[in-house]
Amino acid sequence: MINDHSNSRMATELPTRTTNGDATSQNASGESNFTVKTGLARMLKGGVIMDVVNAEQAKIAEEAGAVAVMALERVPADIRAQGGVARMSDPKMIKEIMAAVTIPVMAKARIGHFVECQILEAIGVDYIDESEVLTPADHAHHVEKHPYSVPFVCGCRNLGEALRRISEGAAMIRTKGEAGTGDVVEAVRHMRTVTAEISRAQNMSDAELRILAKDIQAPFDLLKETAKLGRLPVVNFAAGGIATPADAALMMQLGCDGVFVGSGIFKSGDASKRAKAIVQAVTHYNDPKVLAAVSEDLGEAMVGLNVSSMEAKDKMQGRGW
Amino acid sequence: MDITIGVLALQGAFNEHIQLLREAGQIVASKENNSQKKWIFKEVRTEAELTSCDALIIPGGESTAISLVAQRSNMLEPLRHFVKVTRKPTWGTCAGLILLAEAANQTKRGGQELIGGLDVRVNRNHFGRQVESFQANLDLPFLQKADGDGQDVETSQKPFRAIFIRAPIVEKLLPRVSGIQQDEAKAEETVIAPSRAMDESVAKDITLADVEIMGVLPGRTAAVKDDGMEEKLDAEAGDIIAVRQANVFGTSFHPELTGDPRIHVWWLEQVVEAIGRRKKS
Repeated sequence: MINDHSNSRMATELPTRTTNGDATSQNASGESNFTVKTGLARMLKGGVIMDVVNAEQAKIAEEAGAVAVMALERVPADIRAQGGVARMSDPKMIKEIMAAVTIPVMAKARIGHFVECQILEAIGVDYIDESEVLTPADHAHHVEKHPYSVPFVCGCRNLGEALRRISEGAAMIRTKGEAGTGDVVEAVRHMRTVTAEISRAQNMSDAELRILAKDIQAPFDLLKETAKLGRLPVVNFAAGGIATPADAALMMQLGCDGVFVGSGIFKSGDASKRAKAIVQAVTHYNDPKVLAAVSEDLGEAMVGLNVSSMEAKDKMQGRGW
Repeated sequence: MDITIGVLALQGAFNEHIQLLREAGQIVASKENNSQKKWIFKEVRTEAELTSCDALIIPGGESTAISLVAQRSNMLEPLRHFVKVTRKPTWGTCAGLILLAEAANQTKRGGQELIGGLDVRVNRNHFGRQVESFQANLDLPFLQKADGDGQDVETSQKPFRAIFIRAPIVEKLLPRVSGIQQDEAKAEETVIAPSRAMDESVAKDITLADVEIMGVLPGRTAAVKDDGMEEKLDAEAGDIIAVRQANVFGTSFHPELTGDPRIHVWWLEQVVEAIGRRKKS
């Protein structure tokens, strides 16, 4: 199974000659820098990106084998518990984290808050997450992401949302899931939704794709490219509710390219051990024996919230459009 | 004859290499008349998978993560055996180059494990963070030599569009020594690879020569730190971004992201030659 690339479950191969986004992102010499932006996302594949709130946690994440860390002021579980407006983190804290580790550092900006993005670019973070976990700053607009030299990752619940973000310049996509719950059900829902929509689009004629593009509010060219590839045209990670090695491997087997873990690590009993286990699970996601071994004796998982008993207003995934 | 090429699939852009290898395999086959060769390209995550390979690519990714996962998956020693004891053809790109170096600096606090095989010191994230990542045209002399025979001259002369992502460079060529790189071990914040002796049975087929510079990136001297005259002189000649020593080849850029199979074609031909040499003896 592992070596079978004609795998019918889901096309996971992302061809290197994808052209999406190129035309709209050119530097002074008329050349695209989208390749360089998506290139870093490709280097993160098969890896785990961990939420951290200080330099000490960042070092634990790096030592556990994280491919990148996401610097933020409060993990989603605390944002949920404490309420209030959640904003971009203090640049001082982000810089401390950047100084503490040698792996890439990402940071979150509020949806539509292009000045927070300018600030993050000025600090020199490696990736910006325009994230629904923070309180949105614009009721209608997402950030125009192509002009930045820093690449962006954005969340999605379905194919239309993913393609709108890519069209705005996102070089990487993640499922939204339901952050800060430790409940993987929404991440699975979003991944399965995207996959099902793509396989439906694959059997459509151009004329039918035009109707679909209108219905899901996605650009036709990007939709056509996606249908041809049989997968999203950029790297796609899982996020929002992943708490165990088994959750991580589940998302990988569903066709994700890698995994974000937010509250799941530093809200659990033994953060370092759990982080290492999730890293091993993402590499060996197709090997149940390894998964069984790394799942053993991890201590307490984060307590978690059942998404099914939450009210719609408490969900973060509805932020953004 | 089957030739099995593995791509280390612990983390990173391993699938991109497999895509280009498939393309390159077809080109190599079409160049040869009457070829009996069959290429097998496979992802490698375990020792058993590695043992079945004739040659290996270590892809780009996060070298820290690949190194830690290799350690915890009991793959570090099998990899050192593959590269340094049995001396099978191995190519590392970006993170792969770092892992194949005998010495590296700017690693994470507490250092990182290296496989080794190339007598060089690499400087991790040499150009800086992601905003400093870039593309550049490279003239790679080995590609032009390789394509002399009946190939379209224009194709072989065309510069290679190289993509550098948080890339390392070869900061210093090291002398060949028996055992570990002692002098490097003394330097602060530099990590070194452990020494593994070459298997005597392969010694007659492999000549451990000095490191060969296979490519340089001109005109980026500003980023080089001022730490010794010798290195400054090196820097003026351009940054070293491709090297070879015996069975090990390393590039600091990412041919797997370009869709240009020329380096993969060249490397597969090197692999065929290396296997041929061993068969003969």
